[in-house]
Amino acid sequence: MHTIYQFVSGPLAWIAFILFAGGCIYRVAALLHTVYQKERFIFSYMSWRHSLNSIFHWIIPFASVNSRKHPVMTVVTFVFHISLILVPIFLLSHIVLWDEAWNITWPALPDGLADVMTVLVILSCVFFLARRIVLPEVKYVTSASDYVILAIVAAPFITGFYAYHQWPGYSFVMILHILAGEIMLIAIPFSRLRHMLFSVFTRAYMGSEFGGVRHARDW
Amino acid sequence: MSKTVLVIKWAVFILIFITSSALCQYDMVEIDNSVFGDPARPPSVFEHDAHNENAGLDECNICHHVYEDGKKLEYESSEDMYCSDCHSVKSENGSPSLRKAFHMNCKGCHLEQKAGPVLCGECHRK
Repeated sequence: MHTIYQFVSGPLAWIAFILFAGGCIYRVAALLHTVYQKERFIFSYMSWRHSLNSIFHWIIPFASVNSRKHPVMTVVTFVFHISLILVPIFLLSHIVLWDEAWNITWPALPDGLADVMTVLVILSCVFFLARRIVLPEVKYVTSASDYVILAIVAAPFITGFYAYHQWPGYSFVMILHILAGEIMLIAIPFSRLRHMLFSVFTRAYMGSEFGGVRHARDW
Repeated sequence: MSKTVLVIKWAVFILIFITSSALCQYDMVEIDNSVFGDPARPPSVFEHDAHNENAGLDECNICHHVYEDGKKLEYESSEDMYCSDCHSVKSENGSPSLRKAFHMNCKGCHLEQKAGPVLCGECHRK
């Protein structure tokens, strides 16, 4: 038990964070490099004003036409993404580990609130799964990898929820939880989860092209 | 020996026994976390005497340490003090915060010895 814990929370955690950080830097650098090599003219109409305008309208719920057309999806996706990012960073038991390893600490979410947000993430994943199966237009563009990615995202939250409540098999699930978190970190730069990095670039590009070339809004 | 003297002798003996057993943490089953005010987790399970017997600890200062200028004093011990006398809830003067001090003292040793609880819920049981 101690050996496994030390392995998953030591060397494996290092590997996960290095691949995550290195992968993210590589991905963004490769993106900019590819655009520079193949479609350099894009830089000629990139504009800060149109970029920020687009990012702003898509990051605020109901500020884009598309988000108003799909109100349920809009609410679910915002609740999902906010909880997904805040819970792992501001969970007390995670901060305790940062404090022990690096002597750094910051304020934590109350455990009760983090528990509710975790349930919201899990329910959102169920919603996204059902949506892929039920809606024909979504089903049409769904491949096996979409289900794998959904499972990768849901796993740390399901195992974390189970472990927090200390149900039977607690230690085993804790190890699974750490592994699930590491898999998700690694998957961010190397799967379609990379939209975490690319979404601002996508919006900046779309905003600039619509604003500067077509003289239209992209929201 | 008169009966009265015998009763008094027994009474004194029992009194000494009770107070001494209370003083030596005979019945300690968890860490007193009242100093945290609004503790985020249930108090850590800790049966003092059973733990020390199990772990084969004879020296008090293995846990009840004294640090001076960042160095552990080999022959000093601090079992007559509260942990919170040196470790306040917020980290001060380079001394780890109380929460961190508990975690490092318990979990740190458990990892070194490869024995004893190391996961949150193994000590902070609901």
